[in-house]
Amino acid sequence: MAIIEVQGLSYSYPDSPKPNILDVNLTVDEGEFVLITGPSGCGKTTLCRCLNGLIPNSYGGAFSGRVVVDGLLTTEHPVYEIAQRLGLVFQNPENELFCTTVEREVAFGPENLALPRGEVRSRAEEALGVVGISHLWDKSPEEISGGEQQKVAIAALLAMKPRVLVLDEPTANLDPLSARSVLNILAKLNTESGVTIILVEHRLEMVAHMADRCAVLDDGKLLLIGEPDEVLYSEAVDRMGIGIPKAVKVAKRLSFGSKSGKKPLSSRDLADIIRGGKQ
Amino acid sequence: MKVLYGFEYRRGVSVIHRIDPRSKMIYVILFTALTVYFVNPLLLLLVLSSSLPIVAISRIGSRWSQSIKGSLFFIAFIFIFNFIGIVWATGSVYDAVISGISMSIRFIALISIFSVFFLTTSPEDLTQSMVQVRIPYDYALTFNMAMRFVPTLSREAQIIMDAQKSRGLEMEKGNLIRRIKNYIPVLIPLIISSFRRAELVADAMESRAFGASKKRTSLYVLALGKRDALFILITVLSFLLLLSLRLVLGIQ
Repeated sequence: MAIIEVQGLSYSYPDSPKPNILDVNLTVDEGEFVLITGPSGCGKTTLCRCLNGLIPNSYGGAFSGRVVVDGLLTTEHPVYEIAQRLGLVFQNPENELFCTTVEREVAFGPENLALPRGEVRSRAEEALGVVGISHLWDKSPEEISGGEQQKVAIAALLAMKPRVLVLDEPTANLDPLSARSVLNILAKLNTESGVTIILVEHRLEMVAHMADRCAVLDDGKLLLIGEPDEVLYSEAVDRMGIGIPKAVKVAKRLSFGSKSGKKPLSSRDLADIIRGGKQ
Repeated sequence: MKVLYGFEYRRGVSVIHRIDPRSKMIYVILFTALTVYFVNPLLLLLVLSSSLPIVAISRIGSRWSQSIKGSLFFIAFIFIFNFIGIVWATGSVYDAVISGISMSIRFIALISIFSVFFLTTSPEDLTQSMVQVRIPYDYALTFNMAMRFVPTLSREAQIIMDAQKSRGLEMEKGNLIRRIKNYIPVLIPLIISSFRRAELVADAMESRAFGASKKRTSLYVLALGKRDALFILITVLSFLLLLSLRLVLGIQ
């Protein structure tokens, strides 16, 4: 079942001379893990804002096409309604944490929904538990590391029990270790809780093998979409400024794809193929 | 800027920390009124000393003394200007000295009262108490976010200052006016980035269903308890005692 339908979406910001998003069509099924990548300034952030209705509701500008999230047309429903179906995690956690303690931060969403106090509390505790930071509940967002901040941001959205989580380069400001730990949480949410994940990410090395599909945006247009190996092994991506995993580059040089039909996405897959020899 | 440290809340576990902000607000209002009402330096000294037991019980001595030390700089100004003003108006040096002393103690007392309040009241409790005295949530939240972003902004200011210095901006150079002007290349980027940040924060708030319901839930609700009753009782009694010194004994 499609949980997100984007049809003929074009958008330009109020003072923008050219469209920031041009004729994007995208359908995401419930429970899918979709990876979106593309060079800087390609419209990834803009697309994320379109998905949760911030565009056009709060930004104005020229919007055309349709975005339907879990049955809600974004042009007809306010952001707070869409936010209960689709959570958006931003790039810099510093700007999305605005409360003075982690616990208040996570409770902010359910409080806004005017849920009973017991429910607010249990949701906040549960969400902190899911991302594994229950021990930080009384810390200030200022006192914790970037990776922990991003986990707080994810927990704050999970507390609203969204069916879709959209993440706009959540690991951009994180070191590799914290990045992996955040990405592992996403994989777990996707496989264990069935949350649909749309992840905008440059570090394909770490995530390509987790995704069901991979999309490449360039200059506001959706150039490619398909299974990660199809997309990353296609010739078109070589010329673009995206971070193709090293395993893929090596495999391409060795022209694995044409010889054996095997398309490794991670260094582990690649090593297995090499170790396996002629199979 | 050290004065500000004397107002920055740090988590504490004392009885005073656990007293409802509304009760502490009663202390702030009553004793602030006294600092304005009293003229005699000795009475003002009594008002100032009212915060000493609170400082002792809540163990905020070192931070509190920072706020007092930080205010000494202003006191010099206040004393001098007050002195000149009074000598100008009345010609009496004695009056001018007494009045200058009163003004200075009054200022320290005010700093002390507010410092005690902010040092022992967490921003979240303060915000919640604002909501419970029917201040609209939007204003309470704005206040709360201001508290949250103070350290962020000061860090950012430092980064911008370092960046401008590395491009050759000499901030400590020149006379007073020159030095103030030197801050412009720091302030403008700081203001612009704050506006951008504000937009991003607004996005994040909307993405968490801000405004979904007119009557939102609060995770915590403050309730006045026995310790609040006791605190208010002591506050009101000492207020009346001090007030009677002027009203009954006639000390100005």
